[in-house]
Amino acid sequence: MTEKENNKKTEDLGNYFPINKSYIKRKKIYNRIAYTFAALAFIIGAFPVFHIIYSALIIGYKYLNWNFISTLPSGFPIGAKGGILNAIIGDLYLVVIASCLAVPLGIGSGLYLSLFGKKRTNSIIRLLNELMIGIPSVVWGIMGFYIFSTNAGLGFHFGFSALAAGLTLGFIMTPIVTLLTEQAVNRIPVSYIEGALAMGATKWQATKSVIVKAAMGGIFTAVLLGVLNIIGQTAPLLFTNYYNTGMPTGVTGPGGAVGDLAMLIFIYIHEPSRILHYKAEAASVVLLFFVFALDIGMRLISWVTVKIFEML
Amino acid sequence: MADIDKNNKNNNIDKNNIDNAIDNNKEEIKIEVKNLNFYYGDYHLLKDINLFFKKNSVCTILGPSGCGKSSFLRTLNRMNDYTEGSKLKGEVLLDGKNIYDKSIDVVELRRNVGMVFQNPNPFPKTVFENVAFGLKIHGIRNKQFIAERVEKCLKYAGLFDEVKDKLHKNAFSLSGGQQQRLCIARAIATNPSVLLMDEPTAYLDPASTATILDLIANFKKFYTIIIVSHNIQQAGRISDYSGFFLNGELIEFSKSGDFFTRPKDKRTENFITNRF
Repeated sequence: MTEKENNKKTEDLGNYFPINKSYIKRKKIYNRIAYTFAALAFIIGAFPVFHIIYSALIIGYKYLNWNFISTLPSGFPIGAKGGILNAIIGDLYLVVIASCLAVPLGIGSGLYLSLFGKKRTNSIIRLLNELMIGIPSVVWGIMGFYIFSTNAGLGFHFGFSALAAGLTLGFIMTPIVTLLTEQAVNRIPVSYIEGALAMGATKWQATKSVIVKAAMGGIFTAVLLGVLNIIGQTAPLLFTNYYNTGMPTGVTGPGGAVGDLAMLIFIYIHEPSRILHYKAEAASVVLLFFVFALDIGMRLISWVTVKIFEML
Repeated sequence: MADIDKNNKNNNIDKNNIDNAIDNNKEEIKIEVKNLNFYYGDYHLLKDINLFFKKNSVCTILGPSGCGKSSFLRTLNRMNDYTEGSKLKGEVLLDGKNIYDKSIDVVELRRNVGMVFQNPNPFPKTVFENVAFGLKIHGIRNKQFIAERVEKCLKYAGLFDEVKDKLHKNAFSLSGGQQQRLCIARAIATNPSVLLMDEPTAYLDPASTATILDLIANFKKFYTIIIVSHNIQQAGRISDYSGFFLNGELIEFSKSGDFFTRPKDKRTENFITNRF
């Protein structure tokens, strides 16, 4: 092709550009429709949250005071007087026990999936993991009852206790932590890992000193979402812990059962007592507040840790 | 059958080229690649590669995108080990020992064969820790030694004066060119004898590129340097030997002077006159 022909072609390209004016008008309308739809979806989706907060506050506000969260329930029916300290302490027990199991297991298997495993085994493990997330919590409860509470399963015989419930909740939490840890590590550029390996680091060295640090924020979020998931679980507790109106005296056997906010709400709502209904609403405000505070707190911790690791 | 014949034919051409170009003094050979075949799944990526790199020389591997030159570079420090579905046949002799032998420790191999990547990829750590990382993973705990070595490496990489006040700041606060020199400092910290560079200047501005090319010219005294590039001018400026890859085959490998002025193969000539 000579230069002249070439130039001519460029000119043709410049002059010929058929603009479809009606489409340009329409595409703006499409844009508006998509925007409206997205906004509407958000409003409808977020509405229940605001409604729960609003209705719980309206009904439960008069019981929300320091006394409510700092004393044990008393009176008749039990809970008519006093507060919900047993449930708050109980939740703390459960979250700590569940995390002790789920954090190492979940982070470990998440790291394995994204760094060490082979493609085919990984896809099987991932499938099983997603299946575990999908198992209804009542099924987990029955499994926990059989394995941890009775002496029929593996012979643990923890009874209805914080340990049995905590471990069951831990197994519910593990697949969530696994999935989110894997995703967090997969978001890290391959070049970090390659850079470390190319210097003669073993995979574990690369994981420990480069990858975990870079993925720290994501791993914190994984643990956070796991905790937020189990803090509202009721069904597993029905079979492994039930409820305790007082303080636990241990973590296993008789006296090992703990109170729990979600169980408290469930039980209070079933009582034929208006005061308990109000208190259940107040307790749900407290539960929501804890979820909120936990979220903010963990985000803060993750932000600070990431900053500190950057300095190291 | 036809394919095999064709390959063999190419092989002969390659061997002749090398023999003509390099006086065959075994002592001076650092890396020798023998009948290297590399497969990715069913795809035959590298076909019967035979060549050798001499001690304290700079070699540039040229070729269009997707010709297998990066994969070739990564076979030299076994970075392809982690690529699933890849398979390798043939030998890569480093100082006379096959690096794919079972007795070879991959960790020690990678300490000895440093690598610099296309994108500057410092770790999300401080400048100091980035260089010290290579020492720590090999078990060096002596803080004074680490501090001295980090300073020396940064000086060799021509970076120390620019970053001496920022040693304990995050490496991402450096400019792109500085980050790449940091990666070079990081690579030489483990005291390698070979440096592999995968298009080290591809994403850098001309000034940074010039700095790094000067570095490479100086480094020749200490290391055997193998660079993958698709920049012909750069290759001509800095390299002692040049090779040309096309579709997974080594078309030509010879002294840079001959390579650029009297290419033996028509395809090489087409490439260096920018016809690809």
